[in-house]
Amino acid sequence: MTNKLLQKVGGPLYHNRRLIGYYWQRTKKNKLAVAGLAFILFLVLLAIIGPFFTGDPTKSNIEENNLPPVGFSTEVSIYSIATGQSTVSKINGTWKHPLGTDSKGRDMLAMLISGARISLWVGLVATGIAIALGVLIGVLSAYLGGWADNALMRFTDVMMTFPFFLLLVMIVFIFGANLLIIMVVIGLTGWAGIARLVRSETLSLRTREFVTAAKALGASDGRIVFRHLIPQVISLIIVMATLSIPGVILAEAALSFIGLGDPTVTSWGVVLESGQQSLDTAWWVAVEPGGMLFLTALAFNFFGDGLRDAFDPRSRS
Amino acid sequence: MGKSWLKYYIIKRLIYAVAIAWAIVTITFVLVRVGPSSPADKYLANIMSRGQDVTQVTAAIEAKYGLDKPLWEQYVNYVVRLFQGDWGWSLSTSMPVIDLIKIHWIYSFQLILLSTVVAAILGMLIGIYSAVRQYSKFDYVATFFSMAGISIPSFWLGVMLILLFSVKLGWFKVYYDTTLPLFSLENLKALTLPVITMVTGMLAGYVKYTRSTMLDNLRKGFVITARAKGLPERTVIGKHVFRNALLPLSTILIADLGGIVFGSAYLTEIVFGIPGLGQVSFKAIFASDYSVVVAIVLISTFLVLIINLVTDIAYTYIDPRVHYD
Repeated sequence: MTNKLLQKVGGPLYHNRRLIGYYWQRTKKNKLAVAGLAFILFLVLLAIIGPFFTGDPTKSNIEENNLPPVGFSTEVSIYSIATGQSTVSKINGTWKHPLGTDSKGRDMLAMLISGARISLWVGLVATGIAIALGVLIGVLSAYLGGWADNALMRFTDVMMTFPFFLLLVMIVFIFGANLLIIMVVIGLTGWAGIARLVRSETLSLRTREFVTAAKALGASDGRIVFRHLIPQVISLIIVMATLSIPGVILAEAALSFIGLGDPTVTSWGVVLESGQQSLDTAWWVAVEPGGMLFLTALAFNFFGDGLRDAFDPRSRS
Repeated sequence: MGKSWLKYYIIKRLIYAVAIAWAIVTITFVLVRVGPSSPADKYLANIMSRGQDVTQVTAAIEAKYGLDKPLWEQYVNYVVRLFQGDWGWSLSTSMPVIDLIKIHWIYSFQLILLSTVVAAILGMLIGIYSAVRQYSKFDYVATFFSMAGISIPSFWLGVMLILLFSVKLGWFKVYYDTTLPLFSLENLKALTLPVITMVTGMLAGYVKYTRSTMLDNLRKGFVITARAKGLPERTVIGKHVFRNALLPLSTILIADLGGIVFGSAYLTEIVFGIPGLGQVSFKAIFASDYSVVVAIVLISTFLVLIINLVTDIAYTYIDPRVHYD
């Protein structure tokens, strides 16, 4: 089943396996792209097996709140009712909570791993929806031409004009903060740029001999679109998927940050938002999830950029 | 051949802009209506806590805002009122939405204007130098940092800057001081960290576009001619290459960045406590103040639309070679 699907959409990358090796050789030359890929793989591994080793990220323990990460220490003044004086004591980070705890005593490491799961999940699902819509609309627009092309492209213009983040804020505000809604909305609003690129790529493919040949052999429109045109733009799709994942992850985090995140999940944005309020007592609560967001976005951007150069025939040395 | 086509082009673009604006107004109306709760419901929680009768209050609110009329009538009223400048009533601040916007827009405007100017100048300078010294160390470092700039969550960067410069070093105030006069040095100082936050995210776009348009132009024939004439390199780059690169740059940037700038200004205002439209909308979300949230989305969208229209038309005047159908 999956094999057949791969064969269908994989196009040249599936039928000519040596091509993958060739592109990998080219990507490998870009050190930053390899580093990005390594970080992505590490994150995926962390998200899959991490939760089995850490405790429950939602478990709070008020006696161990605001613990600094290992190697750091903070000073806490404790007011004693008996003596009427406050004593300053030093608290060191312990290996029990290697990345510290937040103001409710929840383990930062467990929360970050849970956040990795959510961010990757949001990134994959929302990008999947955006790519599917963008490719379909782009290819159809270019292949059908005429008034259909015109109508689809005008619709794309409308979608591009909407300030993406504000639209997101409005829809989530109206329909409620739910992870599924957030993912679907990011996907449904993010396809316009992809559609435009795919359209221009397909326009140049449309008049090529293999399409004319397929038509002459009596292939239906659907067959030409799905078996001949889409597989030809597969490298473009892979690059765009990689490059749009960071935007999606940051958008979800930004929504959580302004209080429109799903309150039932522990995403990086939610943790970061709670950390902003305790900036002067526990800086690590805001620093750590933001750092993870930054590194994740950076990794996807570097890897996507490397892939784009590798797939681009003009950059062949 | 003259510029008679230009008149038709401008008319066509105007009609087009109005059509998109209308489409956007319709989409927002449908979204608000299709949404799981009516604006009256959202306000009910407040009323109920005061111990009034729910059905009575709902009916009163619905009658007051015309929510009891048929849907098409509500839609027509909504569109007509928008064009008359009646953007609704802000329940949480008890004033017309349009007045609320009139008070707060200037704070967003100063932040966006300042950030755009700084990002454009800095980004173009870096882009030019990167293109002239392609594949140099500077070029790689610039590419790396622009990539980092778009990867860093702007709200997190804001929080980090506050932590470092305001909390630890004490150079700036943690929250923006709203009592400062707009055109003063203190205000400029208060805007330093917010502007750095915005510029970091915007810089990459400017650097990337400047670099690639500069590289395109550097390979053209007139550059060889200019060099062959013995012009100093400064003149070749500044007067010949950059001037030609500036044209496509101006339109691409403004059109592309419109949406991004509004998004990042929104978050930056919230982090630094700047009382602009972003923060107003943020507060309205928590107060379930429908009309404010919708109005601010609409205003930003219209602004992006107008900016796009103006740049497209200005482009045809700046560059006589441009011809649209």
